[in-house]
Amino acid sequence: MPELDPADRAAARQADPAGAGSPSRRSVLRVAAGAGAAGVAATALGRITFPGRAEAVQARTEPDARHAAAEPDAASSDPIVVHVRDASVGDIEVFRGTTQVRVHDRDLAARIVRASR
Amino acid sequence: MSSHREAPEISMDPVADSTDVYAFVSPDQPDTVTLIANYIPLQGPAGGPNFYQFGDDVIYDINIDTNGHGEADITYQFRFQTEVEDPDTFLYNVGPITSLSSPNWNRRQTYTVTRIDRTGQHVLGRKLITPPCNIGPLSTPNYESALAGPAVNALSDGSKVFAGQRAEGFYVDLGSIFDLGNLRPFQNLNVFGKADGLRAAPGVNATKFLNVHSIALQVPISRVTASGRPVIGVWTTASRQRVRLHGSEQGEVVNSGPFRQVSRLGNPLVNEVLIPMGRKDFWNTQPPAHDKQFAQYVAHPELAGLLPVLYPGVFPNLAALDKAKTARADLEAILLTGIPKGIVSGFTNFTGSVQADMLRLNTSIPPASSPNTLGLLGGDPAGFPNGRRVFDDVVSVELRAIAGVTFALVDSTFKPDAAAGELTDGLTPADLGTPYLDSFPYLGVPYDGYDHPSS
Repeated sequence: MPELDPADRAAARQADPAGAGSPSRRSVLRVAAGAGAAGVAATALGRITFPGRAEAVQARTEPDARHAAAEPDAASSDPIVVHVRDASVGDIEVFRGTTQVRVHDRDLAARIVRASR
Repeated sequence: MSSHREAPEISMDPVADSTDVYAFVSPDQPDTVTLIANYIPLQGPAGGPNFYQFGDDVIYDINIDTNGHGEADITYQFRFQTEVEDPDTFLYNVGPITSLSSPNWNRRQTYTVTRIDRTGQHVLGRKLITPPCNIGPLSTPNYESALAGPAVNALSDGSKVFAGQRAEGFYVDLGSIFDLGNLRPFQNLNVFGKADGLRAAPGVNATKFLNVHSIALQVPISRVTASGRPVIGVWTTASRQRVRLHGSEQGEVVNSGPFRQVSRLGNPLVNEVLIPMGRKDFWNTQPPAHDKQFAQYVAHPELAGLLPVLYPGVFPNLAALDKAKTARADLEAILLTGIPKGIVSGFTNFTGSVQADMLRLNTSIPPASSPNTLGLLGGDPAGFPNGRRVFDDVVSVELRAIAGVTFALVDSTFKPDAAAGELTDGLTPADLGTPYLDSFPYLGVPYDGYDHPSS
């Protein structure tokens, strides 16, 4: 499992104090992008709905507090960028507007990898 | 360079590349401090038609630590926005730009200033205009009086602000320094220069006739200090969103994700000269509070080991210090903690034990009536490393410090080499192409492209 940077760790703790993913955190990742783009190994385009997985964990990284005021909330037309950091452990980053969500979902990662080929 | 193109990644991103930071008690307004952060290095004045501008997609911060923990207690944040009047012309201006409201000016940039402190985020000014770049006498006549001067804005908290192009005020002989340390005044002593039969020659200012973009603030001292703590730590940062996408239908770049720091600058030359190549970009992402991880490079600077090799027989005492692997407590104090009381008579800019690269300014020290460009080394406590004024000769000061001049302050048994006190790249403010200003924003009128086409 790749090591998280401190900001991600803090966000992960906040999102999921138990570390295992409470039911409310079990991920249903909706990617409803107005425009898509590629991360290192993945592209999110159009309207795709991925069903949740039991092992999925989601952690949100909000903008740096010093930078938050300058940023409007993400608009529905903002592109969504998906970066599969490590498909073998399902480590995924999802960027939208000025936010970032860290998802751990092996099945989702595998599907994105397949879609990228 | 002070911090121009100092790290591999940021050297490819000029609009986010901080080049110099200045912090000083304003000589003409001594109840205020002036803070300046420069970006976009080495601008050739004739660089049209898309003349230089700040990044609309970059967040620029000037950070102030008021209590010595190496974290920002106060941040002045700057966001820029570019507007194009007529997208159907390739021209920056379609006639003379005689005022900031000239309809002939096609591409203009405005900005918002926000102060962030423990009470929250406070917008101090919106839609403030930057002046155009200095193009030439036909396009930007009466540049300073008609365009740059009126672009000095008053903020709602009583501060002043300016953001725009300025003449580069940092003077340095890059050509000699990066050619194996062949400092022109001493080429005859350099191991390679001597072998080539080079003779001592005057220094050459590599930044002469080049411009930068400055963000300058003049703030009442009471607005940036904590009660009973006159010493502040200052540094600038630039941040970008984590993702950048090219190739949209309109050719625009799309950014996404949270902002992350990509550039940082406090003391001049730290990342440039002390931090090794493989860690420079990482250093740029870190807050000063985490600088303990880099303290080894300050305590054992590579350059201190190189000087005796480049100048054989000139620095025997420094060579002995290096050989003994003595930690340079003098450099750690100057760059990472500030100088404690009792080291230099009547002076301190110590902020505590937290090692953090910040430009430390003791705001209780008044401006000098007869400034010395060598600052504290020259007996002038109002200058570097007590903050930094625009004219301070930071290259000579740091060369001398690294060569051992300041080690005697922490070890009275050490005798600096005679040459250490003479080290310089052979330049003074007289080697600039244009003078500094006597008043805010202090950096000189930018060189125009018509008269300096080949800079």
